[in-house]
Amino acid sequence: MLKFVVRRLLLLVPILLGLSILVFVWIRALPGGPAQALLGERATRESVEQIERQYGLNKPIHVQYWSYLSTTARGDLGTSITTRRPVTDELKQRFPATIELTLAAMLFSLAFGIPLGFAAAKRYGTSLDHASLVFSLLGVSIPVFFLAILLKYVFAVKLGLLPTVGRISALLDIEHPTNFYLLDALLAGDLNAFWDVFKHLLLPAVALGSIPLAIIARITRAAVLDVQNEDYVRTARAKGLSPRVVDERHIFRNALLPIVTIIGLQAGLLLSGAVLTETVFAFPGMGTWLVDAIRARNFPVLQGGILFVSLVFVLVNLLVDVLYAVINPRIRVS
Amino acid sequence: MSVAEAEAREVRLDAPSGLWSEAWRRLRRNPGAIVGFVLVAAFVTVAIFAPLIATHGPREQNLSLLQGSCCPGPSGSHFFGVDALGRDLFSRVVYGARFSLLIGVVSVAVGLSVGLLIGAVAGYLGGWIDSILMRLMDIMLSIPGLLLAIGIVAALGPGLTQIMIAVGATQVPIFARLLRGSILATREADYVLAARAVGVKRRSILVSHILPNSLSPVIVQGTLALATAIIDVAGLGFLGLGPQDPSTPEWGTMLTDTTRYLQTAPFLALIPGAAIVVSVLGFNLIGDGLREALDPRFRGRA
Repeated sequence: MLKFVVRRLLLLVPILLGLSILVFVWIRALPGGPAQALLGERATRESVEQIERQYGLNKPIHVQYWSYLSTTARGDLGTSITTRRPVTDELKQRFPATIELTLAAMLFSLAFGIPLGFAAAKRYGTSLDHASLVFSLLGVSIPVFFLAILLKYVFAVKLGLLPTVGRISALLDIEHPTNFYLLDALLAGDLNAFWDVFKHLLLPAVALGSIPLAIIARITRAAVLDVQNEDYVRTARAKGLSPRVVDERHIFRNALLPIVTIIGLQAGLLLSGAVLTETVFAFPGMGTWLVDAIRARNFPVLQGGILFVSLVFVLVNLLVDVLYAVINPRIRVS
Repeated sequence: MSVAEAEAREVRLDAPSGLWSEAWRRLRRNPGAIVGFVLVAAFVTVAIFAPLIATHGPREQNLSLLQGSCCPGPSGSHFFGVDALGRDLFSRVVYGARFSLLIGVVSVAVGLSVGLLIGAVAGYLGGWIDSILMRLMDIMLSIPGLLLAIGIVAALGPGLTQIMIAVGATQVPIFARLLRGSILATREADYVLAARAVGVKRRSILVSHILPNSLSPVIVQGTLALATAIIDVAGLGFLGLGPQDPSTPEWGTMLTDTTRYLQTAPFLALIPGAAIVVSVLGFNLIGDGLREALDPRFRGRA
């Protein structure tokens, strides 16, 4: 087991190196070159040259790569062109927002997707099963931003039940030691603020989580249908175990493997979808940050943001792989 | 009927029909796939005959329609209402079908051709070339799809062609991996061994034996990729990275500013969005139907 984790960690090294090379090459492929990208479009010739000297852009390419790698590894992602603040500082504010949103969405999709898929498989061929199929088909066919707009229209604009934009009402002011607003509200012991943040989070999380929900329900259904007819399930039933125990220990545990695999794939979808969802709800996370950066041609932010999100994505996949190994006896034992 | 005739008939019944004809037969019996075909056929028809169907020009502005408030809803002369710039929404949605179809097909063509080339080379040659190419694909997959596309658009600049390339690029690793896996499975097949034994050239083995037999998962994925491409391009358009001429009737771009008018003119968001859903749904239904029809595990059960 430990060997497996170590091997997986080692496999991470070439991926991360490759990723850094890709981003390194990408900066050099930007229109006007990296110095121009750093300074913005209106930079003077002198300041471009100064930046090129300062960052060693006139040195050989391998020297440049090495210095890029070492500054990035030290956590220096440069300065935002628009705000003149270190990219890392902005990241610290933006990233928790996106993680809060993504985790909430993931929680929502798992909490409803797995039971739905399970129930559909158990009642195979009934109207519930058909409804779940139609639902999951719609789920993979609707763009996340359109779903977000729909939800916003129905629940915020038409029914006026939930707020339309932001993470917290402007009037509420709480300390943000972690920038995870739900956690911050709890730390401050302010239940009023907690409820407010929760209401702001609800619609974006449901919008972002619905598509993974549809996919997870579909995979769960297929996995349960597969497992249901296995010999060991029949044996368990034959020896008189209660249906509940068979469901929990024999069917669900084994159906969990493909479900965990698909959760890893959803992480990428969630991180991509967050960019769009945040835009619809003006949610101040990584997504709106990166989109603003594109519009302003704010390349340090783009570079840092993409690199960081990819790093998180790679780590999540590693985590999923390990989780997979933990629940899969074939890997766990060997 | 003589005995010989009866036997002949039996033989004909038992003769295995080809993979494709059988798949086609099963596809026709799948109600989901039929619905998919109808939706896609409608979508393609609208795209091709857009100038005949549209009641107005897609860029034609009539600001006098906006007197009072934004925006006049559906009416007899404007079936889907009028947008914030006084343009007929029905005509824009109709012309939008052209862009979405074009964008979907071109980006999948980009992803498919590059991905297939890489997958075929890696799968057939194996060895260190395979390792290098596949690690490269792993790296591309380590960036979440939309962010990779955003990065590419940032380097190339916003625009219609650029987002097609960007979305195509995100699909390259998917096709490459798929075809490589499929080829690895076919490479060891007896008929390939036989072809090699009689001295058929490497390239013609790849082109005439391995590729055709590895293609069915690629066709399924290709259909589903059309759906994803339409969604992804609409997403980039929605973020404002699409066609820089804002009068271009691209469905995603059309949705960009509509959230501001949700109170007064929700149809501005709902109608183009629904158009995206319907076309994507069509491709997904066909893709699912194809998957079932081509899956050898289902073969024989008509």
